[in-house]
Amino acid sequence: MNMDVSLILSNILNPPVLFFFLGMTAIFVKSDLEVPPPIPKLFSLYLLFAIGFKGGVELAKSGVNQEVLLTLAAAILMACAVPVYTFFILKLQLDPYNAAAIAATYGSISAVTFITASSFLEQLNVNFDGYMVAALALMESPAIIVGLILVNLSTSEEESDREFSWPEVLQEAFLNGAVFLLVGSLLVGVLTGERGWQVLSPFTQDMFYGVLTFFLLDMGLVAAKRIKDLKKIGVFLISFAILTPILNAGIGLLIARLIDMPEGDALLFSVLCASASYIAVPAAMRLTVPEANPSLYISTALAVTFPFNIIVGIPLYQYGINLLWS
Amino acid sequence: MHPVKRIEIISDSVELGKIVEALEKIGVTSYSIIHNVSSKGIKGTVFDDSAVTMLDNVYVIAFCSPDKAKPVVEEIRPILNKFGGSCWISEVMEIRSVRCIASM
Repeated sequence: MNMDVSLILSNILNPPVLFFFLGMTAIFVKSDLEVPPPIPKLFSLYLLFAIGFKGGVELAKSGVNQEVLLTLAAAILMACAVPVYTFFILKLQLDPYNAAAIAATYGSISAVTFITASSFLEQLNVNFDGYMVAALALMESPAIIVGLILVNLSTSEEESDREFSWPEVLQEAFLNGAVFLLVGSLLVGVLTGERGWQVLSPFTQDMFYGVLTFFLLDMGLVAAKRIKDLKKIGVFLISFAILTPILNAGIGLLIARLIDMPEGDALLFSVLCASASYIAVPAAMRLTVPEANPSLYISTALAVTFPFNIIVGIPLYQYGINLLWS
Repeated sequence: MHPVKRIEIISDSVELGKIVEALEKIGVTSYSIIHNVSSKGIKGTVFDDSAVTMLDNVYVIAFCSPDKAKPVVEEIRPILNKFGGSCWISEVMEIRSVRCIASM
C-alpha cells in the first residue's frame, strides 16, 4: 500500500500532471483562463509528430526483431478485442449505436496518456523501448473498424438507413489527420534515423515537455468543463469509465508478462490498453455512427478515464508490474 | 439592389465535405466557412473543446438566387437529418450584382 501511495505522489508531482490540475482548478474556481482554440490543436499535432518521429528513430536503431513483432501483434490483438467485450458490457444498458461508439473509443488509445506514462517512467529511471510508439500507432485505428462492424451486426436494416461505405470507413480509420501524422512521422523517423534526430532535436526533444505541459493545462480545462456532462452520463457509465481501464490494463499486463516484455514497455502497453481515444475516434464515430451521442463517448473518455489514468491509473499499473515482475 | 437567399448552416466539421458537395451540386459555388465555432444546440451541448476532440463546429454562409433555395433544402436536409446541425434560409438584398444575380 505504501508503495502505491509513493508511486501516486511521484506521478502527481510531475509538472505536466500538476498543470493538468491547474487547468481543472481554473474551471472550478471560475477563472477566465482560456487557451485560444487553434493552439491546443497545434500542440496536439506537435505531440503526435514528436512522439511518432522519436519512435521511428528508436525503431530504426532496434530494428524489427521477434520481440518487436510479438509486441505489435499483442497491440493489434488488444485493439480488436477490447471493443468486442466492452461492447457487450455496454449493451447491458445502452443501445447498439452508443455501445459501439463507446466501445470503439475504449478500444483505441490516448497518445497524451501514453506520453504522460513515458514521462512517469523517466522520472522513475525505468527504460522503455521507442518502438512502443509503433504499438501506439497500430492501436489507433482497428477499434474504429471493429466498432462499425459491431453496430452493423447488431442493428437490422430497418432500424438504420446506413450506407455501409467501406472506402469512407477506411478513410476515417486510417487516414484521419491524427493517425496519418503519427504514422507518417514514425516512417520519417525510421528513414532518417539518428541523423534526422540530431537535426530536429531542438524542436522534437528540447521543447517536448514544455509543449506537453501546456497541452495538459488545456486538457485540464477541457476535462473540468466536461465534468458537467457526468450528471447526464449516470452511474453505469462512470463506473464503466473507471473499471474498464483497470480491467484492460490487467489483461494487458498479463499478456505483457506472457510474452516477457521489459517492465517499462509493459507499463506503456498496459496504459495503451487502458486509455480511451478523444482525438481520432470521436471524429470517425461522428461521421460513421451519427446515431450515437458524442457527449457520451467524449465525456467518459475525457472527464473520467483520462484523469483517472494520469492521476491514479499509471501508478496503479506500475504497482501491478512491481508485483508481477518481482 | 436585388433579392437573394442567404443560407446559413452550422454543423460539425466532419460533415463539412458533404455539405459543401451538396451546395456545389446545386450550383451554389460561392460560400464562406468559419471554423472553430462554439455553439449551444437543442441538445444543450456546448462544443468548446473542439481543438482536443477534433469535432469543431463550422459555420457556412452562402448566397444564391431564389430559385436555388428549394434544391438546396432538398440536398441539405438529408445530411442534417442524419448527422445533425442547423440550416436557415432567409431573404436578403444584394447591393451589387456580382454572382447570384448574374446566374438568374
